Parts: sequence; structure tokens; C-alpha cells
Amino acid sequence: MIRYVILALLPFMAIFFQSTLFSFYSIRGTIPDLVLMFVVFFALINGERPGTIYGFLCGLLEDLYMGRLIGLNALSKAIVGYSLGKMQGNVFKENMLVGFLGVLAGTFINSLVMLILFVLVSGSSAIENDFLIKTLFQCLYNLLLSVPIYFWYYNSSHNGLLKA
Amino acid sequence: MFRLLRNKYFWTIVFIVIISLSIMRMTAVPRQEVTVVENIIRDIYSPLQKWTGNIRGNWGGMSYVFSEKRSLIERIEILEDKNKQLSIDNQLLREYQSEAVRLKKLLEFKEANINNYTLVEAVVIARSPSNWYKTIVIDRGKNQGVYYGMPVITPEGLVGKVMQVNNNTAEVNLLTDREMAVGVILQRTRETNGLVEGLGDGNLLRMGNIPYYSSVEVNDRVITSGLSTTYPKGIDVGTISKISREPSGLLLTAEVKPVVDFDRLEEVMVIIDYIPITESDEVEQE
Repeated sequence: MIRYVILALLPFMAIFFQSTLFSFYSIRGTIPDLVLMFVVFFALINGERPGTIYGFLCGLLEDLYMGRLIGLNALSKAIVGYSLGKMQGNVFKENMLVGFLGVLAGTFINSLVMLILFVLVSGSSAIENDFLIKTLFQCLYNLLLSVPIYFWYYNSSHNGLLKA
Repeated sequence: MFRLLRNKYFWTIVFIVIISLSIMRMTAVPRQEVTVVENIIRDIYSPLQKWTGNIRGNWGGMSYVFSEKRSLIERIEILEDKNKQLSIDNQLLREYQSEAVRLKKLLEFKEANINNYTLVEAVVIARSPSNWYKTIVIDRGKNQGVYYGMPVITPEGLVGKVMQVNNNTAEVNLLTDREMAVGVILQRTRETNGLVEGLGDGNLLRMGNIPYYSSVEVNDRVITSGLSTTYPKGIDVGTISKISREPSGLLLTAEVKPVVDFDRLEEVMVIIDYIPITESDEVEQE
């Protein structure tokens, strides 16, 4: 039970920190995507189906909070959850590098899906902006935070509160 | 192929994709009212965000006290100099203002002026948690008389407009958001009705559709034109920083550096009683 409460609280707190703490200390206007990180870690440890559903729900919460195009983050994070979940059986999860590389892949998949959806919905105006630079900065910020968070997440899923 | 159809993972994913795309389709149009669910989520977050806003304010105050005395003295000197200069400017402007008021009376000019509006002050308590949107959340909502579409300003200039209102908070789209566009004119020449658009990025705006014969120059001030249903006339937007010709050769595009530093917004003001000049008013003027 407590596991589910924490799994629900993680994206909730992530949105809170992204909208307050990190947004006031952004690097060149870019903030990290903690919600994405939790989806990546969850999918890496629990596999594709739970990963997809968790990604969808986390993304949906984010969309409902932002109140614009609902479904955008839900779909992109579900796809991230699915793709990272596919790797579940093939990687040594105890290696901290897995969290690092997972976040790297997750950030790029997420940005790419978001870009495609944006272009489909609102025309081509999204591409002309420095999409790549923004994604790179977000990647850096995410990667910086990914190692300590993955360390905690991995330990917690095996011996701690997140243990299934 | 048939094996794929029998796979339950496959159906979960198909279901999620269909659900997401259909909600996206439903919410792709601009909405004035938010749904109950969105309202509830915002109302859960707003007290938390207000609380962190306060902590941040206190912390800022404390660090100010501890900062070096010398730098404070220097600052005071600079500010005193600036103050002197500004009071001289002010005298001059007051003279111009009275002149303008007299002339306007003479012409029976009916024009909206920024001094005539009721402003509600608000504190920025949160920002967009995503890199894709440029928004801020302010601590004033429906209960304080803030509604959808109201313009938001600072003493420096235009910030954006209210896009989502909850009971005690409201979300403001900044000018830099990619969904924003404002009708503007150049202050110096009063010409070039253009449109300033957000690029969804950092601190830069773009002014498009300027005819090639326009006398636009770098450092020209850009102000709102009043030709919109949202923004009053004469609010500072920014200064032209770069002009380039579009590939067609008939139009110019300019980069506009906004007067407001969108990364450092702390307090803003909402204009709560702007009623746009409608066509019937314009006919009366004539």
C-alpha cells in the first residue's frame, strides 16, 4: 500500500519542485524533468506494461496541472515508459550507469515525441526554435540529477519503501 | 501478426495511444474555462506554492541583510544619482503630459490611458514545470476579480495575459510563450502595425510582417497598438534588436528584446477593468 502512495507522491512532488524551486534556478531557461526521470526508473525496474501505465498516469497529472493540451505529456511519457521498459530484462540495473543512460535515452525520446505531437497539433512553428539546444540543456540538467536519484530509487525498490 | 493482436501488452498501448490522442483533440482548441479536475489539482498545489513563495521571499531578505555593507553603499550612491536624473526627467514629462492632456481635450480625443485602469497586484508563486510552455502562476484568482484574458503588466512593461483562472490563483501566459501574439506599433514613428510573437524560448520575441519600406531601426521602442481586444494601447513591449529581410524580400522581420526580464519576475499587476475600444466607440470618435 505504502508503495503505491509513494509512487503517486513522486510525480506530484516532482511537479511541485519543477514549478517552484527549479524554475527559479533554471539553467538558460531550462528546467529538469523529474517526472520523466521517475517514469524512466520505474520502467527500467518494473518492465514495459507497468512502465507504460505509470508513464501515462504521470504524464496525465502533468497535463492536468498545466491545463493546455491534455494528453501530450501522457502519450509521450507512456511511450518513454514502454521503450525503457522493453530494456528491463536486458540490463544490469544495479549499475548506476543504467540510470544515467536511461535518462539520456528517455529525455531524447520524450522530446522527439513531444515535438512530433506539437507539429501535428499546432503546425510547424515548433521546429524553428532552438529545439535541439533546449533538449541538450535539459539532458544535462536531467543527467546531473539522475545518478543520485537513481541510486536512491534502485535501493528503495529492492530494500526500501518502493519494494514490490 | 495475429500473435501481436492476442498480446495484452499491445492492447494496453493501443488503448493509451487512442485515449491520449482523443483527449488532445478535445483540448487543442483554446478554452476559457478549465475542467473540474484541473481546478482541483491547481487548488491542491496553490497553498504549497504560496508557502514556498513566502520562504523564498524571506530568504532573499535575509541574504540582503548579510550582503556586504560597501556594495550597499555603492548601490545607494548609484540609485541616488539615478533618482536625481529621473526627477528631472519626470518634471519634463509632467510638462509634456499636461500639454498632451490639453491638446487631447481640445481635440475631444477619447483614448484609453494606462493611468485610468484599476490594477491588482499579484505575487508570482510558481512557473511552468515544463520547458515547452512559458507561464507563471500568480496568487490572485476569481475571488480577487481576476478573469480570463486580462492583461498583466509590471512597471517596466507588458508581461502577458491571464489564460487560466482558479479560485485563488491564475496562470499567466508570458509574451515569450509560443501561443502568444500582440499587436504593436513603433513608438517613434507611430507606424508599422506589426505583430510581436513569442518564440517559446528565453528572453526573445519576434516582430513579423513589417513592410520592406518601413523606417524601422534598431533600438526603436515597440509598444502595444491597442488594436486588440486584450491589451490597452501604449504599454511598453521591448526594443528592436535586429532586423532581417524575409526570403520573399517583401517583408522584414525584427527581433525584439523585451523590456521585462521574464526569468526574474516576482511581482506583477493585473489590469482588471480594461474594456477594449470597440467599433461602435470608434464611430463615435469620428
